[in-house]
Amino acid sequence: MKTKSLLLVAVDFLIMFAGLGIIMLNQYPKIDYSPVPWALGAAGLGFVIQLLLIRGRFNSDIWIFPMVLFFSSIGVIMLARLKPVLCIPQLRWLIIGMLVMVAVLYFSRQLKNMMRYQYILGLCTLVVLCLSLVFGVEIGGSKNWLVFGPFSVQPSEFGKILLVMFLAAFLSDHKDMLAEARRKLLFLDLPPLRFIAPLLVIWGIAILMFVIQRDLGSALLFFCMAVFMTYMGTGSKSYVFIALCFITIGASVSYAFFSHVQVRFNIWLDPWADAVGQAYQVVQSLFSFAAGGVWGTGFTHGHPGLIPEVHTDFIFSAIGEELGLLGCTIIMIVYVLLFYRGIMIALRCKKDLYTLVAAGFSIALFTQAFIIIAGVTKFLPLTGITLPFISYGGSSMVSGFIMVGLLLSLSKETYLGTR
Amino acid sequence: MQATATIIKVLGIILQYGLLFLLLYFVYKLIKFMKNDSRDVIEDIYAVTEISNEEAVLTVLEAADEAMVGQRFAFSDEIRIGRGSDNDIVLTDSFASHHHAVIALFNNLYAIEDLGSVNKTYVNGVPIDGRQYLQSGDIITIGSVSLEFGR
Repeated sequence: MKTKSLLLVAVDFLIMFAGLGIIMLNQYPKIDYSPVPWALGAAGLGFVIQLLLIRGRFNSDIWIFPMVLFFSSIGVIMLARLKPVLCIPQLRWLIIGMLVMVAVLYFSRQLKNMMRYQYILGLCTLVVLCLSLVFGVEIGGSKNWLVFGPFSVQPSEFGKILLVMFLAAFLSDHKDMLAEARRKLLFLDLPPLRFIAPLLVIWGIAILMFVIQRDLGSALLFFCMAVFMTYMGTGSKSYVFIALCFITIGASVSYAFFSHVQVRFNIWLDPWADAVGQAYQVVQSLFSFAAGGVWGTGFTHGHPGLIPEVHTDFIFSAIGEELGLLGCTIIMIVYVLLFYRGIMIALRCKKDLYTLVAAGFSIALFTQAFIIIAGVTKFLPLTGITLPFISYGGSSMVSGFIMVGLLLSLSKETYLGTR
Repeated sequence: MQATATIIKVLGIILQYGLLFLLLYFVYKLIKFMKNDSRDVIEDIYAVTEISNEEAVLTVLEAADEAMVGQRFAFSDEIRIGRGSDNDIVLTDSFASHHHAVIALFNNLYAIEDLGSVNKTYVNGVPIDGRQYLQSGDIITIGSVSLEFGR
């Protein structure tokens, strides 16, 4: 049974090689073979890691890694087609990501011990998020990048991981307080202020990111994660209600005061009002989906290059155009399955803390995918954020693999418990 | 030259359809494997509620009416408790309401629900708020009557 998961890894890399093959055939007679060694390296490493997961010392979940490789393969072939220059860097990031994941699995015990120090984690979250508020450099319209010489890092991607661990530690530690010590206010059950203060701080940070950095996507993601985690940790709907009030007020205030929020919102309501100006990106994205139809135009036969930023935020539109509704549906199904598997791991965990961490990571990945897919299809106002594992981006790739590594290490503990 | 062009075209078409097929195949296999693999997890989760659907028994422990003490009321899906004569268990107790409480099966577990009684229904000494699941050995108190729930 377990060795069958190798078949899935093989299919992942077949997808990658089929895609690269199509691109190379198009280049005939001047074929560029440079991505092939990198792709072979990634495939080899992928197989080795899956073998380690199956029979090595990490006795952990074996279905999540093939799913992640599935996304990565699609990401690599889409990049090879959209921005050939970025294909090799993406493969390099994929390999680095897989190595980081192995390192996380190897040091999983230490990392699990680290999860208990909630206030240190909280401080780290604040520091990481504030780093970009203070030293942030503006790239591509949002001021959330740190530049270290040749590297540029998006701290919010790593802040996500710390945030999940902090919230999980805080909520599992104060569960009784949050659930028991209540005050009735109208129809809401409220715990004393000092217990929800850390949550308010996180929400406040999300709003700050929203305002100062113009990073609407990360702000929305952080906010959703905080709300979901609080609800899972306490089971109290009052928090959800408060959070909804908070975001409604926050959104209407920022709509009234900030032009970039107004622009985003107006584009969402009526992209055709300024289809060649500010709404150009969204309108082109919608055209892509329309051009793709059910079966897609065929890989390399569409024109997704017309969408600005197609290789990061709008990669899903390119998939929609070239692989059609079919490809999009499959990708969304696999995201759902990843989420389902993550929740399974969470439910199997014996400790509240680990349950919350595992569920938090699953929710973080799933919400991120949802926000950007909803954004490019104009289901929600567009907020720029990467599609996990598919979009180009080193920070997002590595942080995604760290999350997956932690999920896998949490599944390990539960297996030891049950067998 | 013509031949190579044809070969490339044919290969390209095969790869195009192969790519879509591989995507579908991946999802199909993944769902199939994961379904088998997660069966025991799902059973674990629902195991708590999969208690056999046998009868439950209410035993009267204390009552003002001596004749009632020690009586056992067996039921399988629903039992109504109150002072009214249309109840399954008729309590001759002035603190009990006409239709006091009902115990019914929800999701394979029995739950007690207070039907808006004046003097409340207590489970293990705690007044219930809405519907509450019962476990074997719980003591239900209505007025001066104590009943033990067992299954």
